[in-house]
Amino acid sequence: MRASIYTRSALAKAIMYFILVVFLVFFLFPIIWLLVSSLKTHYQTLIIPPKLLFSPSLEAYKKIITGGMLKSFKNSILIAVIDIILALVLSITAAYSLARFKSKFNENIGFWFLSLRMAPAFGVIVPIYIVIRNLRLLDTTFAVNVAHLLINLPFAIWLLKGYFEELPLEIEESALIDGANRLQTLVRVVLPTSMPMVISVAILTFMFSWNEFLFAFVLTSNRGVTVPVLVASLAGTMTFDWPLMCAVSIGAMVPAFVFVFLVQRYIVRGLTLGAIK
Amino acid sequence: MKEQYKLLLPSLTITASIVAFPTIFLLYVSLHQWVLFVQEVKFIWLGNYGSVITSRDFLQSIRVTAIFVTSSTVLSLFFGLVLALILNENLKGKGVFRALFTLPAIIPPVVAGFAWKFLLNREVGFVGGYIFPLLGYKGSILGNPRLALLSVIMVDVWSRMPLMFLILLAGLQAIQPDVYEAAEIDGANYWKALWHITLPAIRSAIIIALIIRFIDAFNLFETIFVMTSGGPGIATQTFPLFGWKIGFQYFNLGEAAALAVIMLLVTIFISQLLIRRMRQ
Repeated sequence: MRASIYTRSALAKAIMYFILVVFLVFFLFPIIWLLVSSLKTHYQTLIIPPKLLFSPSLEAYKKIITGGMLKSFKNSILIAVIDIILALVLSITAAYSLARFKSKFNENIGFWFLSLRMAPAFGVIVPIYIVIRNLRLLDTTFAVNVAHLLINLPFAIWLLKGYFEELPLEIEESALIDGANRLQTLVRVVLPTSMPMVISVAILTFMFSWNEFLFAFVLTSNRGVTVPVLVASLAGTMTFDWPLMCAVSIGAMVPAFVFVFLVQRYIVRGLTLGAIK
Repeated sequence: MKEQYKLLLPSLTITASIVAFPTIFLLYVSLHQWVLFVQEVKFIWLGNYGSVITSRDFLQSIRVTAIFVTSSTVLSLFFGLVLALILNENLKGKGVFRALFTLPAIIPPVVAGFAWKFLLNREVGFVGGYIFPLLGYKGSILGNPRLALLSVIMVDVWSRMPLMFLILLAGLQAIQPDVYEAAEIDGANYWKALWHITLPAIRSAIIIALIIRFIDAFNLFETIFVMTSGGPGIATQTFPLFGWKIGFQYFNLGEAAALAVIMLLVTIFISQLLIRRMRQ
């Protein structure tokens, strides 16, 4: 153990485990409760005190399909995938250029990047909404994509720029001397060594896009609706179909589960990146 | 030289326009009388700013936002630090705890809001319909102004504390063990070492976490929107909820833009203050 030189008494350890377990319950209970409730029938969710033993039913999940709600999952996936591709292509080239070719303009652009991150979302949506409305593109996945790219792109560039700046120049220079141009150097030399970082940025981009609510909510109403908008609109209706709402919520959480169990390394890296830089 | 611009131009032009545009257009809208479905757009100097600041909701929003942002920031930072300190110890199973504690941070905020709204519900919720009545409170939790504000604070802590924990843990893991040697020789106990060595060593991580958390809590919209929509009445109406109401319920985009600009200025001002402290 690096940062601790003291050996802990059994009591201290017991107290620490106790605190950990309390927080574990606090963190996990709502998630487990959603999962359990999504497997109940509507009638079973109404019983108080709640029954712990019941025969699980997949009715709620079937309703997602029969109720035509898969559409919003498709929209969300489509938006996130396009967002990742565009954000990566644009941010990698832009960040590399900014990192390698210094100028006054480069330094100033950093401020704009951060100002977008610091602006309240309802403020950023005002100009976007006006433009999208005038272009008659409301209620399309394209509109949501543009909005998400707007937030993701500056952040991705900012992260990648910092990373590229710290890469040693020697390898690139030898590639350049061998006659490769900048783009070739970027693709063949810089990118392969930057994969972990690129993956972290991709995951961060995906998470933002998949979780984002306000832009999608304002810009879409029916055809272009995403999963978070679906969750919010179900939660806001007066026909309280609790199992269905829980099932949709569980569906919305699937990427979170996948990330935590499969690519946790990248996610922790991605989440703390913006902070440590 | 020529070649570098070939690589630079396409992505940079797109990025620059995409990034600069909303901020500039936001300022522009904030200086105009701009109401959706009303054709005429009129330049009115700082008129929108005046009407936002003098509106009745503004003072209440300041109060709610101040309470919300302060308590949520302090609580998530404090508990995040406690968890980071514990999981920096040599404990069995810490990897599993770390992984599971990350979960709330990557769940959609809308889902976090719904999950708790469901738990706190008076009719069917496990907490609001079962635990609270057992303890003697039978009213509606989110229908009570005070409890509603406490609830949205708690949910924000639930969903954002994990990020604080991760940032602070990364800071703790960067401490070199030899800084503790002197303390060991002096026979300083854990709490003294914590106060005099550990906390100063992660000072910049704490301030960064504080900046991120402040910006995040100040701009938080989703969870409050799903849980209470700012209600009951305007008891949980923080600035973003207030701005949302002006812009997308009253369709007064000009005033909403003005409020957004005010918030942006406050954010920049406070983050600058914190960044200065960090550099000291």
